[in-house]
Amino acid sequence: MTNCSSFSNYVARLHQFMREATQGFAPGSVPRPGWLPALEGTPLAEPARSGAGDIPPAARFGARPAGRPVSRPDTFDLTFGLLARELFALQFAHNAPYRQFCEARGITPRTGADWTALPAVPTAAFKDQELTSLGPGERTAVFYSSGTTEHRHSRHFHCAESLAVYEASLWPWFAAHLLAGIEPGERIPGRDPLGLGLSLCCLTPPPTRAPHSSLAHMFEVVRRNLAQPASAFVGQADPTGTWTLDLEAVVEVFQRAEADRQPLLVLGTAFSFVHLLDALEGRSKKFRLAGESRVMETGGYKGRARVIPKPELHAAIARQLGVRPTHIVCEYGMCELSSQAYDTAPGAPQRQHPARVLRFPPWARVQVISPDTQREVAEGETGLIRVCDLANVHSIMAIQTEDLGIRRGAGFELIGRAALTEPRGCSLLGRELCH
Amino acid sequence: MNLPNFFLADLPPEAILQPSMIREACQCLRRNRRQYLLERSTADVIAALDEVARRWLDPGDRFRRLALDGGPRATGFAPATLVSGLETFFGQLTAEHLQALVRQDLGHLRRLDALSASGDEASARHAALAWGPELLGHVTAGQLPVPALMSMVLGLLVRSAQFVKCASGASLIPRLFGHSLYALEPKLAACLEIAEWRGGHHELEGALFDEADCLTATGSDEALAAIRQRLPPRVRFLGYGHRVSFGYVTNAAMTGAQEHRVAARAAADVVAWNQLGCLSPHVIYIERGPQACAEGFAELLAGELAKREETEPRGSVSVETAAVIASRRAFYEVRAANLRETRHWFSPAGTHWTVIYEADPLFQASCLHRFVYVKDVPDLDTALQGAEAVRGRVSTVGLAATDEEAAPLAVRLARWGVTRVCPLGRMQSPPLGWRHDGRPSLGDLVTWTDWEQ
Repeated sequence: MTNCSSFSNYVARLHQFMREATQGFAPGSVPRPGWLPALEGTPLAEPARSGAGDIPPAARFGARPAGRPVSRPDTFDLTFGLLARELFALQFAHNAPYRQFCEARGITPRTGADWTALPAVPTAAFKDQELTSLGPGERTAVFYSSGTTEHRHSRHFHCAESLAVYEASLWPWFAAHLLAGIEPGERIPGRDPLGLGLSLCCLTPPPTRAPHSSLAHMFEVVRRNLAQPASAFVGQADPTGTWTLDLEAVVEVFQRAEADRQPLLVLGTAFSFVHLLDALEGRSKKFRLAGESRVMETGGYKGRARVIPKPELHAAIARQLGVRPTHIVCEYGMCELSSQAYDTAPGAPQRQHPARVLRFPPWARVQVISPDTQREVAEGETGLIRVCDLANVHSIMAIQTEDLGIRRGAGFELIGRAALTEPRGCSLLGRELCH
Repeated sequence: MNLPNFFLADLPPEAILQPSMIREACQCLRRNRRQYLLERSTADVIAALDEVARRWLDPGDRFRRLALDGGPRATGFAPATLVSGLETFFGQLTAEHLQALVRQDLGHLRRLDALSASGDEASARHAALAWGPELLGHVTAGQLPVPALMSMVLGLLVRSAQFVKCASGASLIPRLFGHSLYALEPKLAACLEIAEWRGGHHELEGALFDEADCLTATGSDEALAAIRQRLPPRVRFLGYGHRVSFGYVTNAAMTGAQEHRVAARAAADVVAWNQLGCLSPHVIYIERGPQACAEGFAELLAGELAKREETEPRGSVSVETAAVIASRRAFYEVRAANLRETRHWFSPAGTHWTVIYEADPLFQASCLHRFVYVKDVPDLDTALQGAEAVRGRVSTVGLAATDEEAAPLAVRLARWGVTRVCPLGRMQSPPLGWRHDGRPSLGDLVTWTDWEQ
């Protein structure tokens, strides 16, 4: 039996859980009006009362229309816990570097720790060890973390089964946040299967030019599910792997959308937006996109563009692209994860808290961990973001990021990369000295 | 803390500095220098500095008490760390050492007072006079107070009016030093201005750059390059970039019971100023041999750091710093679980100290705050190959070696580009005559007039 097949039962149960949690919200269906507002409008968790990782049911399962509970919330908690336990046992058995780490910590499947107490692997360790349960022959794809060429990259190995999980995980949560608020019209198979009337513009290279980018792969899944043409990708990758924009192509896509009054869905990294806005400014070009146009912005800069604070970047996007500020959505994801967090959805009611609170889907849970005590911080306090992602089937479920965030109910507010906030803290696990 | 408003840094936090205030302060400093400082003799200035230092060493001294009361909150250093760091510095600041510094850098004790000649010069019927810049500016970086204090001392010796621009949040101890001088010699202190603002304030900095005749600055290479670019060409610029340091322990130095002693000395270097200075070790290299076992040494060092934590605690750090330490530790924890050549020792609670043992000789920059690497090497050359990436940027090597070994090792280190070799355990306490980054500190400040009779 290969490692991959050992996970099949788990994967089947996970798919079922994801379907239940999102009510079969998959390609072919559209976000129901009110789907996300139910999530946004709920009060935040009471951290003192609930245990570590407890999430208020309504915030967790916004997918449930009011008055029609699919399942009792404690059943979901239970399912999450059981799946986490099952996946931990599988990863412990089939992932030797992780097993050694857990044994060094004295935690094994027999110790019966719940998901909040499982050893979390730091993202940097993915640069150092092959943290996968897939044998070399089983790996069909690998995603690398972005970064300059001198840095070593994190590696997340995939097989067909884990890619399918990745895609099943990313779509419903993406759709819930980026496709919300549009009244579906006529569905046209092969052209507009969801009847949303959106056209797509991805500021990354296509996956054929960036085969190791989980982000390009994610955007490709979105493109496929929306049946958009390959020309939706307007980014390029030069031979060194540096991403650039085909500015002519961007302008053409934007001009066409503007002229046709067709809402545009623009997906990109923060640095690609900075490049785009700088280039447009250089040409004194501005757009006024159709009202339901929306933007997803993700990720840091990693030295590839001048750094602009988020509110400023969003204001510039709104000003220069003519997108409503309420229709700019932040995404938080990384190659080491298979699920993503989002902070809002177009049409969602005004945020109760001025901060942008990011939330993962029900199959990935976040903890904000004090770097000092290694325990979860209290509501409103700052710590390192840790994610327990049930969709991380063949790598590691419990991921310790290097990102600092503030605990906000079931979600978190992103502050930034710890290494970047430290004046003399060099990200020196590689072979370079920053000063 | 109720201190009179002698310096700009004494103004209440709500006061907003304006470029005109900087310019006016500089003009006032020049005036005061002409009136009060220019005609003072070297002996006079040295006597004043000696007395100020003597007072700082007195536990009852008002300014010292203020520094220890307010310092922990302002600087992040625990009181014990401050006491030890300040006592080391002021202990060095004696008339004898100051005189030796002048002789070392300028060749004659009265060089700044009159045309004077050393023996060789006298026989050639030559004499020379050295003088300092009229207005000396200092741009200091980081939380360590000692570099700012040392800059002020050097400036006073060469009779310059001085404007010290501290990094934001770092002016307390330089200010208290200024006030202590004021209490003793108000006229000398009137030639000193201390201000604090967040780096990158172009207008304030521009005003200072325009006024200064000579500017010293510490900071990252990029920060120094940016300053250099903005300085008018007539201004002499002395930039001190970030440096790193490491320790080297020979096998022979570890004989018998020496191992414990060497580990304690290494711990002293890691604990001093919480490892935040350029002179603090990132890595301790252990020469492999029958006596020395790097892994065992790492364990001893961890024990020593734990002991020091009880008497001289590191104190708390920002959540950002703790996050960097925690992330780095987690990385090594996974590696250590998978590789026999890596081991780790962490303070049991919190991020107070960390020791990482690695067989790999590659130099690793530590994330500091008492986080140190111990590495195993067959010889010094291997350590130097491992440190090739930081060659030219190594300040100090703390050496634990026998007397016979030390001299040839020091020569080898010097040829490789290290600018200071000292015994392990004294890395953060350089003598007053230390040549900062290999340059004569006092010598670089002065201009000479040679007189051929």
